[in-house]
Amino acid sequence: MQIKEVINSLNLQLLTHTGDMQGEVTGGYASDLLSNVMGQAEPGMVWITMQGHQNVAAVASLIGLAAVVVAGGAPVEEETLKKADANNINIAVTDLPAYVVAGQLYALGITNGK
Amino acid sequence: MKTLLADFHIHTLLSPCAEIEMTPHHIVMRAAQYGVDAVAITDHNASANAAAAVEAAKNYGVKVFPGMEVECREEAHIVVLFDTLEQLAAWQKIVDANMSGLKNNAERFGAQFIVDDDDNFIAEEERMLLGPLKLPAAEVIQKVNAMGGMAIAAHVDRPSYSLLMQLGFLPSDMGLAAAEISPAGIRELKEQKLKLALGGLNYVTDSDAHMMDSFINGPKNLITVKSLTVAELKLALAAEDGRSWQPGCFLENRDY
Repeated sequence: MQIKEVINSLNLQLLTHTGDMQGEVTGGYASDLLSNVMGQAEPGMVWITMQGHQNVAAVASLIGLAAVVVAGGAPVEEETLKKADANNINIAVTDLPAYVVAGQLYALGITNGK
Repeated sequence: MKTLLADFHIHTLLSPCAEIEMTPHHIVMRAAQYGVDAVAITDHNASANAAAAVEAAKNYGVKVFPGMEVECREEAHIVVLFDTLEQLAAWQKIVDANMSGLKNNAERFGAQFIVDDDDNFIAEEERMLLGPLKLPAAEVIQKVNAMGGMAIAAHVDRPSYSLLMQLGFLPSDMGLAAAEISPAGIRELKEQKLKLALGGLNYVTDSDAHMMDSFINGPKNLITVKSLTVAELKLALAAEDGRSWQPGCFLENRDY
């Protein structure tokens, strides 16, 4: 499934402008520990988090994630969005809790990809 | 220039997790007894016992840096240090405006006591001091620096409440003065494992004491400075003009 379909299906609000919307989503990962995400997430995954620090964009870029979903209505810092746009990273937000986002991704057939 | 022993991360009984023996007076008294020249009082998101420590220290010849262990929105701890109680009070106002609004549950988390410089009870802090402020790390550090203070990422080697673990790495432009290695992490420090992850940031070693035994036995720093000010501490970390900062130092006589 393409990133734009995922974003539309879950009714997420996209905050960035330069990311690839056609890429295939390979799986999902959920964690608020960026050190853990760096070791566990894989390219093409959607990452669900409640962190909004600029390192979120850096980690997403480093791994080559399809998109970051900041869940639970958590705020995203301006610097994070700037960094994401500079690195062609998709960041979308939702008021849905992280657990619900993960459940909805599973319902779309997006599992942990392993 | 003088070479001094210093511990920049100590909790008083205002922190819910600290023992009742950690009164400001008791801390500076033991510091003087064991030859610790400078200490920082750093309670969780609070500073109401810092003035008592500064006052009590006048009788013991110990330097007290008024400080705080701030929990930022990312749920990581940042030790902040100031020169004056006025600076700390101004910072506390910002902290107060960004707290969760929850009340402390003393039975679950521990009581939070405010005392004077002679160990007399003044009040119990009812707000929940544990827990993140609404301020992100970048804003905490930027504001503290702008107010003339300094910020140190606390116990970066620990799995929880560490900026390094929460954020994956420490951006070099964050404005941190140093990163603190916890007492348990000093073995790893020797293996230089953490050096890369810190991105060239200097490290410091403090006791993070919640009880007197860990204050006496915990790690400290041997610093060479012209005077005990925040500006001099920053110069010591940068090893400017003969100043220096040596982490991983312990007391020779540690019996307590």
